[in-house]
Amino acid sequence: MPGNIRSVSVVWVLSVCLFCSRPTSVGAAPICANAQTGCHILSLANLFDRVIQHSARMHGVSNDLHSEFEQYFLPSKNQIGRVSRNCHTSDILTPNGKENAQRMAREELTEVILKLLVAWRDPLWHFHQSIAHHHDFNNFSSNKALEMSDMVHELRKGVQKVAEKMQMLGIISNSVSGLASHEASLPSGSAEWRLMKDYELLYCFRRDSNKVQNYLKILKCRIMPEHGC
Amino acid sequence: MAVSSSSNLLVLLLLISSLDWLSTPGSTFLMGWDHVTSSAPPEPHFTKCISRDLETFRCWWSPGNFHNLSTPGALRVFYNKKDSPTSEWKECPEYIHSNRECFFDAEHTSVWITYCMQLRSQNVTYFNEDDCFTVENIVRPDPPVSLNWTLLNVSPSGVSYDVMVNWEPPPSADVSLGWMRIEYEIQYRKTNTTNWKALKIQPHTQQTIYGLHIGTEYEVHIRCRMQAFTKFGEFSDPIFILVTEIPSKGHESTFQLTLVFVFGVVGILIVIMIIVVSQQHRLMMILLPPVPAPKIKGIDPELLKKGKLDELNLVLSGGGMGGLSTYAPDFYQDEPWVEFIEVDAENADNGEKEDNQGSDTQRLLGQPQPIIHHMNTGCSNAISFPDDDSGRASCYDPDLPDQDTLMLMATLLPGQPENVEASFDIVERAPAAEGVKQPLVQTQTGEPQTWVNTDFYAQVSNVMPSGGVVLSPGQQLRIQESSESATEEVTQKKEKEHISSEDTDQKKQKELKFQLLVVDPEGSGYTTEGNAWQISTHLSSSMPGEGYQTIHPQPVETRPAATAENNQSPYILPDSPQSQFFTPVADYTVVQEVDSQHSLLLNPPPRQSPPPCLTQHPLKALPAMPVGYITPDLLGNLSP
Repeated sequence: MPGNIRSVSVVWVLSVCLFCSRPTSVGAAPICANAQTGCHILSLANLFDRVIQHSARMHGVSNDLHSEFEQYFLPSKNQIGRVSRNCHTSDILTPNGKENAQRMAREELTEVILKLLVAWRDPLWHFHQSIAHHHDFNNFSSNKALEMSDMVHELRKGVQKVAEKMQMLGIISNSVSGLASHEASLPSGSAEWRLMKDYELLYCFRRDSNKVQNYLKILKCRIMPEHGC
Repeated sequence: MAVSSSSNLLVLLLLISSLDWLSTPGSTFLMGWDHVTSSAPPEPHFTKCISRDLETFRCWWSPGNFHNLSTPGALRVFYNKKDSPTSEWKECPEYIHSNRECFFDAEHTSVWITYCMQLRSQNVTYFNEDDCFTVENIVRPDPPVSLNWTLLNVSPSGVSYDVMVNWEPPPSADVSLGWMRIEYEIQYRKTNTTNWKALKIQPHTQQTIYGLHIGTEYEVHIRCRMQAFTKFGEFSDPIFILVTEIPSKGHESTFQLTLVFVFGVVGILIVIMIIVVSQQHRLMMILLPPVPAPKIKGIDPELLKKGKLDELNLVLSGGGMGGLSTYAPDFYQDEPWVEFIEVDAENADNGEKEDNQGSDTQRLLGQPQPIIHHMNTGCSNAISFPDDDSGRASCYDPDLPDQDTLMLMATLLPGQPENVEASFDIVERAPAAEGVKQPLVQTQTGEPQTWVNTDFYAQVSNVMPSGGVVLSPGQQLRIQESSESATEEVTQKKEKEHISSEDTDQKKQKELKFQLLVVDPEGSGYTTEGNAWQISTHLSSSMPGEGYQTIHPQPVETRPAATAENNQSPYILPDSPQSQFFTPVADYTVVQEVDSQHSLLLNPPPRQSPPPCLTQHPLKALPAMPVGYITPDLLGNLSP
């Protein structure tokens, strides 16, 4: 599947770039001794571009799936849906506007992105499982659900690499914690998402993928405004 | 399918909303997928809510059929922003009553949060669940600005062209910050037609339109939407594209020049090819002059080719019929560059009728020749062009059959020496009359010896692969004494002769096969035929009364019936008893009949048959003239 391929390629590129960017690696890459911001800007821009493309693709898939759900089950205006409960990610404080997002610090923004992505790993996997066993859905939907689940996984890794690279470059401080902390930050035992129906999960994920996409773009244009913003 | 229908509905909604932009009731508020309502609900309701930049949004309402509520302020807008479980309904932050519009500025706009809208009159609340939304889902960007086009290229035929259309993103959409990611759709059509053609949606700010026709005016407009969302914004104002006939002479002229150049080159190449092909030989002569081939005077150049060394040796050694010096003036008269290699050969003389050289056969066999006679000249002069026969041993003389015929005729006559002589005279004369130097058989006496030595024709029965020549035995025979021993010697000599030249075994076999040895079985004159097919008898005209000799060939294949004959009749074959005497064997003879013992009966000389014991075999055809033997072509030659 192209999503998988893309995610794999993203991971590969990220790992390669990371390897290349290490001070001990062999190559002509200049070593940033003093954490200058101008160092390795290009590679970070590439990383960002790929991550952003990945998130856009993820959001597109979630949108397609949501549309399918809507036309088969719950036609509504504005794709509003009948969400009986809030999304399980409502606890995560996310900037809801452009100014808010701009005002938020880079580290916080990165953290928010990572939290969102972490929060959706398990629910999407279960969503795919339920879709696959449901007879009402065709293989197309099932494949898309699996693709979505994988993309979330890969995107999270990609964003982590970007965060690490930014930390290495000194763009952001080292306050961005790693993966384990994010997973631990989830409310233990909260399985709110298990109570949600498939459609509600889709609705929530569609919204959150759009958030991730926007935040990443804002982050990139704030850090590197000259490259395609 | 439902998606297409929903998109169609969306387009329809857009058209309707674009028509009723400002304020008209009667359009449903952002129709859902399957809710196609042509008539508006009667109660007050919201017509649409749109955001242009993902930062603010507006909502329009309509009082419906409640005209009493159409006055400003009669209806109030409340919204509920569900960002917390305890959220309240709030009133619209900014009213624009002239438009019945409620405007939410950036402070009151939160993306990804559900908004629900509500209309309240004095005491009635009009609320619809479908009026809830999130801001990102109601975004319809403004149309792009600064739409213009540039001509890319014109086709060589001058019929179609391509243009590049470019534009700017809508200023309201904050693309630079990355807050909104927009993708665009270009549509074009010929002016005054109804069908728009849509190009592929893509996020860049330029696109190429291919295949426009010169002289036709086109109309182009553009719209955009957020990536991964479904709601398009409005179309921009159209621009018009028109490209008239461009008198691009330069363009055409270069094209024509190219064509002319190409055809010219092709034509020149063709002409060169024709010249080369037509003058191929001359060119070959100029470029690759022929190498003169080696030639030895008097020898067929064919012999000088590879593989014919044996024949060449044969010729050079002087054994062949063709003398070395005979060919020179004839063959190479027109080849001035031929340098003759003088070979010191024995046959330097030319055209001698009588010389002291050995006979051809004897020369061939490498023997000393008492009486020599050669037929070289006859052969050589008769032949104007060398054939492929090797060694000139088998010299094909076109006159030979005639001579043979004559000789045959002489022999066919009942063995009369006079007749024979006469015949020989004829034979003599005939070739002489033809102007060919035909050395004739001289000795026509009854001496077999001399006769033997006159090898008028040395009939070659076979040519061995090793180069040796198998001749008729009659001529090889040396009738020195008419004794068996003599014959035996002769045969032995013959054997030696043959041995000396080639393999013995082959020789014997071949002799047996091809030679009908005419040996007089004590003068019986019977001829029997063994396995030998060909009768190679020779005239024995010198022997009076011995026109024909009889042969009793010894069949190699055991023929028990012939044993009696073997004992009785002398054989020239090695393993056969020799005759008292033997007479020369004619090359050709006539088979009169086949007797009961499957032996060919030739026409023996009646007088010279000594032992009567063999007369048990009646010769029916003795006195008969072998008229039947004469073939039609020979008949013509027999006419006196």
